Amino acid sequence: MFIGLDVGGTYTDAVLMDGRKITKKTKVPTDNDNLFDSLLNALDPLLEAVKGKNLERIVLSTTLITNLIATKNVDPTALVIIPGPGLNPSTYDYKVPHTFLLSGAIDYRGREIDPLDEQEIKTCAQKIKEAGLKRAVVVGKFSQRNKKHEEKVASYLQEEIPGIRVAMGHQVTGRLNFPRRVFTSLLTIATQERFRTFYSEVLKLLEQRGISAPLYILKADGGTISFDLSAKKPVETIFSGPAASTLGGLALTPKGETTVVVDIGGTTTDLALILSGEPLLASRGAHIDDKLTHVRAFATSSAAVGGDSCLQVQDGLLQIMPYRKGAAYCLGGTHPTPTDAMRVTGITDIGDEKQAVKAMELLGKDLGIGPQKAAEHVLEKTVQRIAGEIEAMFIAWEQEPAYRIWELQQRKKIRPQNLVGIGAASPALLPLLGKEMGCSALTPPDADVANAIGAALAKTNLRLTFHFDTQRNFYFIEETGVQEKLTDIDSLADAESFSMRRLKEEGERIGISAKEEPELVYSELFNMVRGWRRGGRLIDVCVQFPTGIIEYLEEGDA
Amino acid sequence: MERKTGLVFFPAFDWAISPTHPEREERLLYTRDQLFEEGIMDLPQISEYKPRMATHKDIARAHFCVPDVATQITEAHLFAVGGALVLADALMNKEITNGFALVRPPGHHAMRVAHGNRGFCNINNEAIMIEYLRQKYDLNKVVIVDTDVHHGDGTQDMFYHDPDVLFISFHQDGRTLYPGSGFCDELGGPNAFGMNINIPLQPNTTDEGIHYVLENLVLPIIEDFKPDLVVNSAGQDNHYTDPLANMRFTAHGYASLNEKLNPDLAVLEGGYAIETALPYVNTGIILAMAGLDYSWVREPEYRPEDFYETKDRMDYTKKLVSYLWEVWKNREELGAEKYPRNGDFLELSRHIYYDTDSIREQQYEDIRLCDDCPGYQVIRSRGMYPYGSSKLIEAIGIHPRACKSCQEEARKLYEEKKKDYQGVDVIYLQDKVQDRYFQYSKDGDVEVTDEQQTTR
Repeated sequence: MFIGLDVGGTYTDAVLMDGRKITKKTKVPTDNDNLFDSLLNALDPLLEAVKGKNLERIVLSTTLITNLIATKNVDPTALVIIPGPGLNPSTYDYKVPHTFLLSGAIDYRGREIDPLDEQEIKTCAQKIKEAGLKRAVVVGKFSQRNKKHEEKVASYLQEEIPGIRVAMGHQVTGRLNFPRRVFTSLLTIATQERFRTFYSEVLKLLEQRGISAPLYILKADGGTISFDLSAKKPVETIFSGPAASTLGGLALTPKGETTVVVDIGGTTTDLALILSGEPLLASRGAHIDDKLTHVRAFATSSAAVGGDSCLQVQDGLLQIMPYRKGAAYCLGGTHPTPTDAMRVTGITDIGDEKQAVKAMELLGKDLGIGPQKAAEHVLEKTVQRIAGEIEAMFIAWEQEPAYRIWELQQRKKIRPQNLVGIGAASPALLPLLGKEMGCSALTPPDADVANAIGAALAKTNLRLTFHFDTQRNFYFIEETGVQEKLTDIDSLADAESFSMRRLKEEGERIGISAKEEPELVYSELFNMVRGWRRGGRLIDVCVQFPTGIIEYLEEGDA
Repeated sequence: MERKTGLVFFPAFDWAISPTHPEREERLLYTRDQLFEEGIMDLPQISEYKPRMATHKDIARAHFCVPDVATQITEAHLFAVGGALVLADALMNKEITNGFALVRPPGHHAMRVAHGNRGFCNINNEAIMIEYLRQKYDLNKVVIVDTDVHHGDGTQDMFYHDPDVLFISFHQDGRTLYPGSGFCDELGGPNAFGMNINIPLQPNTTDEGIHYVLENLVLPIIEDFKPDLVVNSAGQDNHYTDPLANMRFTAHGYASLNEKLNPDLAVLEGGYAIETALPYVNTGIILAMAGLDYSWVREPEYRPEDFYETKDRMDYTKKLVSYLWEVWKNREELGAEKYPRNGDFLELSRHIYYDTDSIREQQYEDIRLCDDCPGYQVIRSRGMYPYGSSKLIEAIGIHPRACKSCQEEARKLYEEKKKDYQGVDVIYLQDKVQDRYFQYSKDGDVEVTDEQQTTR
């Protein structure tokens, strides 16, 4: 049996699943000042139910990291960068008061262009020491292709400043994009310690309850990772809520189809795409706290409209405001909302009908129409707003840059077959939205705990992107920061089988079942021609155990 | 509008002329690494666009492709030129301030008649882009500055009889480099004399020499011409490490050239120092176009003291500049002298060599001399292919501003030629007034359309 637990901003959901069946589900309000209590309130009833049975794992999705970053309550950190030639490093503002620039440079092949300056490092260490900083981040341009400079600086800092914790860019992420590597490294070091505290608290609580099942956490890319491994790069677990709802949507829809997961909330509608059965990951890393990072996450979007959106008439035109002014009129509020319109047209039975009609009368007066017409107009506008955002998401996907002919040819225009609704206002609005978009609208009975279902069923994923340079005889792995000497690889086939082998080894280490099928995402070979002869090869291979869910739920199973 | 530089990056990682050819998959690989590692695409000053597939009609606006468009192109060509078209639209729709199409394959050696590949080029990206812009938007005068080390003979040919498009190319002297043309006396045809300015520079000319040319000739001419659009045909092989040429230009020099020239659109051309130049030159150009500081961009082994202009070279450059400035100022009188207007047509003939595809072409051009408009041209061209086969075509190209009587004359001529086409493989009508393009062969009369995107 699995337990999925989603500690969201408003509610904490939990499900206990036995294979495809939901054995028990709970939903409690989240107390953001005390996440542990919320967590236990949702979890305890399930633990009761699972007593004496085999609990295989618990998967947690939580807003903890999001909250940590939002509070900006992090300890001061020194930022040491080795930017080399190119963009003026002040073009990006890392907003770190103690930023140090060192000379030294590595190029795109990992060759040293300029050496480090020992005197500069000394001075930098001295200043960090004087400022009393206990944390530092060292990031060099192209450090993922040669970690020498980062390591040298980091070890010097560690020698000179007892007790300092140092993060190196190449260990956090090896993807190309230096500014994003800096931001991601800063967020990593900022969240590590508090995450560890949280982690050990949760473990203690489970221990007290006699639970020994392994504990996993959901990452932004929809994969689970064991709790202790996640402590290395906790920033990857940010946005695990949206990831959980995307996977929940995936679990509740027909296999292999193209579906939009629609979560209609109070003032926003969150959207995620499932293309031919695969949840769409953003091509670039996530935006966190106004910063661009390397954190892989689902491609999600949000329309500024929900059940509680404030409605106004300006210049004779209906406006859906991006904010709320209290509850819906029919629930004792003072402003007309889409929920009132839903009540009037009878697609929901929430709230007081008379009050809802009154709200639509107020609105209709300014529009010169009756309450019934006003309600229909509101719903039409609401649905169009969401449909417009969905269309924009598909267009954005079609317009994503691609650098190969086959990729450009492959990206055909597609539109969804299904909408799956989760969130409070979904059951009422989704049929209208489906009609507007010409696709079927699904509102599964367990949609209220979709996030917890998503967490419970999420697979452990792993993606490794290898870059081989047969001329310089080395390879590196983007995701893990590995940089090692290379032997016996010359062809694409060699590189592919090497990568696959490493993926399986690494998969085993992090607990991916041997039954899982690894896949080749892409592989690409470039002959290096120097003086009209082949001087070596650059080979890129990306392999993975994909993101997904363990089993699909079938209708009527719950 | 907030300042934005549009960027199309289409490195065609799955396309090459042949595995060891300079125009191969690897060419923009290190440029990608550099641009991506810099985080260029994330900058608020940059908008990245995805290339679209150009259509056969887009290509037929500029070229007479033998025997048809599909034969002369691959998908990569359609995406490369499509990338330039995407930026052209974005510019005209005011989404961007300027744009750089970092695309391959290149195009500036491709001429009006395209029998095959010349100098790594099949179709001319800039020319197709300009013809598209002229048809779709209200645009009259355009300047193309060709900053590739090789003479942009294809682009020169495209607009040689077009008074609305001023072509300026500075390059390594044709006596020392492919394609062996681009001399000072190639100044434009009788309808466009002075609209083609070639500046052949001595080998080893440095930033100093090229910037002298820019400031004392190119920019003053542009200021005088007052174009609606400035295009940089942005080759990067003037770089001091380029393996196919002998100039001494640096990444910083290229960046500052773009800052001064301030092109509305730039399209990548040649440049084959794929490790030592391209990553740095491209970064520099993008930063300069985006109005960002490019002073940190430099090649690893760059030492300023290695770059100086000799007195001899500088004297040569200065003389050349003052000579060409005089030509520009007196172009009307000089044109009248060179091409006295007697008769309705002027006939020109020449031989063209296609190095990549080993094709020889013999071409005759009848230039319509009209007092009221830029007229039309009739081209008769025989391409002699390897292993003895050949194709003969006749092509009529009508200028977008052709007067009513020239238009009628040209269309009538096409109808007449269709009736008597013995021995001619294809007859073309390029009607830029009506934006319609026809070709007639044994398969009948075919109009080239926007629906066609196939390749052979």
